[in-house]
Amino acid sequence: MEPTTGDLTDPLINHADGQLFLHEAFKIIVEEVLCKGTDVKEKVCEWREPEELARLLDLELREKGEPQENLLQRVRDVAKYSIKTSHPRFFNQQFAGVDYHSLAGRFLSEALNTNLFTYEVAPVFVLMEAEVLRGLRALVGWTEGDGLFCPGGSTSNMYAMNLARYRLYPEVKSQGLRSLPQLTVFTSPESHYSVKKGAAFMGFGMDNVILVKVDDGGRMIPEDLDEKIELSKSQGAVPFLVSCTSGTTVQGAFDPLDLIADVCDKHKLWLHVDAAWGGSVLFSKKHSHLMKGVHRANSVAWNPHKMLVAGLQCSVLLLKDTTDLLKKCHCANATYLFQQDKFYDVNLDIGDKSVQCSRKVDCLKLWLMWKAVGSAGLEQRVDKAFLHARYVVDQMKKREGFQLLGDPQFVNVCFWFIPPSLRGKEKNADYQNKLAKVAPVIKERMMKQGTMMVGYQPLGDRVNFFRITILSPLVSQKDMDFFLDEIERLGNDL
Amino acid sequence: INPEKGSPGAAEDMEAAESFIQQAMEIILQEAVKKATNVKEKVCEWRSPEQLKELLDLELKDTGESESKILQCCRDAIRYSVKTGHPRFFNQLFAGMEPHSMVASFIIEAIKTSQYTYEMAPVFTLIEDVLLKTMMKLIGWEEGGDGLFNPGGSMSNMYAVNLARYRYCPDFKEIGIYASPRLVMLTSQECHYSIAKAAALLGFGTKNVYVVPSDNRGKMIPSALCTHVSLQGAVPFFVNATAGTTVLGAFDPIDEIANICEKHNLWLHVDACWGGGALVSKKHKHLLKGIQRVNSVAWNLHKMLMATLQCSAFLVRDKSCLLQRCHCAGASYLFQQDKFYDVSYDTGDKSVQCSRKPDAFKFWLVWKAVGTRELEYRVDRALALARYLAQEIKKREGFRLVIEPEFANVCFWYIPPSLRNLPESPELWKKLHTVAPVVKERMMKKGSMMIGYQKHGDKPNFFRMVVISPQVSKQDLDFVLDEIHRLGKDL
Repeated sequence: MEPTTGDLTDPLINHADGQLFLHEAFKIIVEEVLCKGTDVKEKVCEWREPEELARLLDLELREKGEPQENLLQRVRDVAKYSIKTSHPRFFNQQFAGVDYHSLAGRFLSEALNTNLFTYEVAPVFVLMEAEVLRGLRALVGWTEGDGLFCPGGSTSNMYAMNLARYRLYPEVKSQGLRSLPQLTVFTSPESHYSVKKGAAFMGFGMDNVILVKVDDGGRMIPEDLDEKIELSKSQGAVPFLVSCTSGTTVQGAFDPLDLIADVCDKHKLWLHVDAAWGGSVLFSKKHSHLMKGVHRANSVAWNPHKMLVAGLQCSVLLLKDTTDLLKKCHCANATYLFQQDKFYDVNLDIGDKSVQCSRKVDCLKLWLMWKAVGSAGLEQRVDKAFLHARYVVDQMKKREGFQLLGDPQFVNVCFWFIPPSLRGKEKNADYQNKLAKVAPVIKERMMKQGTMMVGYQPLGDRVNFFRITILSPLVSQKDMDFFLDEIERLGNDL
Repeated sequence: INPEKGSPGAAEDMEAAESFIQQAMEIILQEAVKKATNVKEKVCEWRSPEQLKELLDLELKDTGESESKILQCCRDAIRYSVKTGHPRFFNQLFAGMEPHSMVASFIIEAIKTSQYTYEMAPVFTLIEDVLLKTMMKLIGWEEGGDGLFNPGGSMSNMYAVNLARYRYCPDFKEIGIYASPRLVMLTSQECHYSIAKAAALLGFGTKNVYVVPSDNRGKMIPSALCTHVSLQGAVPFFVNATAGTTVLGAFDPIDEIANICEKHNLWLHVDACWGGGALVSKKHKHLLKGIQRVNSVAWNLHKMLMATLQCSAFLVRDKSCLLQRCHCAGASYLFQQDKFYDVSYDTGDKSVQCSRKPDAFKFWLVWKAVGTRELEYRVDRALALARYLAQEIKKREGFRLVIEPEFANVCFWYIPPSLRNLPESPELWKKLHTVAPVVKERMMKKGSMMIGYQKHGDKPNFFRMVVISPQVSKQDLDFVLDEIHRLGKDL
């Protein structure tokens, strides 16, 4: 039906209906996701095969709409079949739990629905982002600097690479890489895969990410870094960045930053610290030593949506630079957005620091939470996670069938569960093969029963082992005990 | 520390937590939704940065604050934020408030998961797939294709460039683009700046973006594209056509451009971030005629179709897993091959992101709620309103259209009485250039509305009205013109 001019007199959307729907839907969200989702008596997940789930959800998009009752049922269904990542027995990823202040901040960010490119369209959040970045930089040990929030740690790591490249060869922005010598990046095999993805995306090529040896605990060996840099130079390449990790994904290892900084200083390389996972130790007086030397880095990636429970996404890139490098590297000066004749100080229009145009407000969730609990509250959260991890490790040492990979430095506890049938059979030829099959079966069982979620993976020549990451403030010793009992229960017959 | 107790703010006490969230939600619904969409309220509560810093008490301290203080922080954040859902917010290419999308957003925040694997996001994985397939049908890809949702259209455009490069030479993924032929990207002068940012970030260099001139309606000139394609010393591999340019809302002639791209075997990407919404309208989809022939499309559902930010789709006409092959790193801690379900449902390695928000749900719920016909009606209505505005501008003294609108962008000058009888000259343009910034300042300080302005090419500052929201009606547009005159007549 073609709208006639007469139809243009009245608004089309009935806001009263919309607000009622919001109100009703919110009740369901609280009940189904927040209450049930954090209740140990409820399941962590309601497993369904993809085809079955597709049928249950009735996904098809049609010509006509649906009445509100249908939509509210859909809200219930989405909640029911989604993973309860705030559940005390969800240990699958490097995020978990829920903080209600950050949740309020997240709901508010969605409701206000704005972009962080200019002061005129996001005045509160431009100022707030600056304040949060300042607070995080202070923990790194920098009284000045730059930075911004990125859509994920992978992007933060990419930005660091881009900045390092631009600092070394500013002409690369206009001329590109093809006329430059081959640039090489150094990282450990335990680092996050975004270093490689970034290298491919940005034109360096994955082969030019040189892997540096790690020790038994998964930490980068500075002597090998130095050697590899020398080797690369001797081959005619130009090393320009070291991306080391504070809190590796699987083992939770912390590369020795001070020693690595020595190597970077010697060769004049940009030092980037991917602290997406481990950065939050900087809140803890007891554990910040794990990142000793971080102030010597040029850039730090840190994801508060991980250990600080800020909620996805909350990822920052922090820079030591005070020469506006970020903006110079990324700007395009679009005249429709960054007019120079605005009536306020246009330095507040931070959009050109980003490669994004529209950029979500991710700072409010962290700011509100930080305001509510204070740095001391966040410190407690971090310290508590370490205590839980220590407890689990101690318990595993006492229980038969649990074999730790090593002594964890952080809150990742990696272990094999060895079912009774395999115990004492390490010397058998097919031991490794059989062991590799244990974790996937236990994982399948736990998900189908919905009792908990824990990740597993191989690493190097080590076959499938579990990785439990303990960070949720909702978790208690009972949950740790349950976890150990449940692994046994699910795997004893294998 | 007693490991038995919950940390502050992460209440084990469900009642206290629930009470806090209920109160916060009340404030949000009252202040950020109800009041914020009420035409009787202000669009913005302008404060200078120094004033605002003081008002907000931003400092982060060692100790926490009381619950009532936190709720006050929420109120303050709302008060001084711009009400982008207000019927008189026309500043950007997004506007209005879609309650179904907002509910979807709240669900996403509460569920708080990442879309990298089926095990972590079973519901959202299936929803993203269905939405992308439905969008592909609208584009006209009978055999389907591939795609995913990105953190913004800029990223979608970058993906297109990366895929085009990978198709040209898959080796670049491993060896990089050193010592390669000089690859160049082609785009129009009216395109979005993310194309330039893509060239810089992906290692091509902004110099290697060749800009094809547009005609006086803002559309790429195909014959000029032809010329650029044949230039010596460079290897064109990618053409970006824009469906709905940022300022003028112009649509490049996709069919003709596709002819050239097919002939020269160039990847054709259409940045339909803004104009993609026309595809739901039988009356207006001709603006993207030929789009079924292209290799990739970027389409932001958070613009004309009013999903909450961000909701940006990237679609590629490919069934050979190009997206996966181009981006994958095969991380064994996330994409184990021995999972107990079909791992082709794990979409994470199609992305350069690791954690990825389930943005598709924000629009899927809208579509379910209102249906295709209503979406079409909304688009048709927005464009009818744009035409109405253009007609009114032509009738009113002191208002002059920049060009006849093709889409929802209505660009015009306001010429205050003091300048109306001056001859057309560079002197007039110079004076006219100073008008919009002052009117903008006044409207923001008054809080009555928000409209963007910009210079463009050699044209002095003009206003760009963008009509999107179904909450907007003729009265609001009449108001805009009246208000501009009210604010600027003394200049």
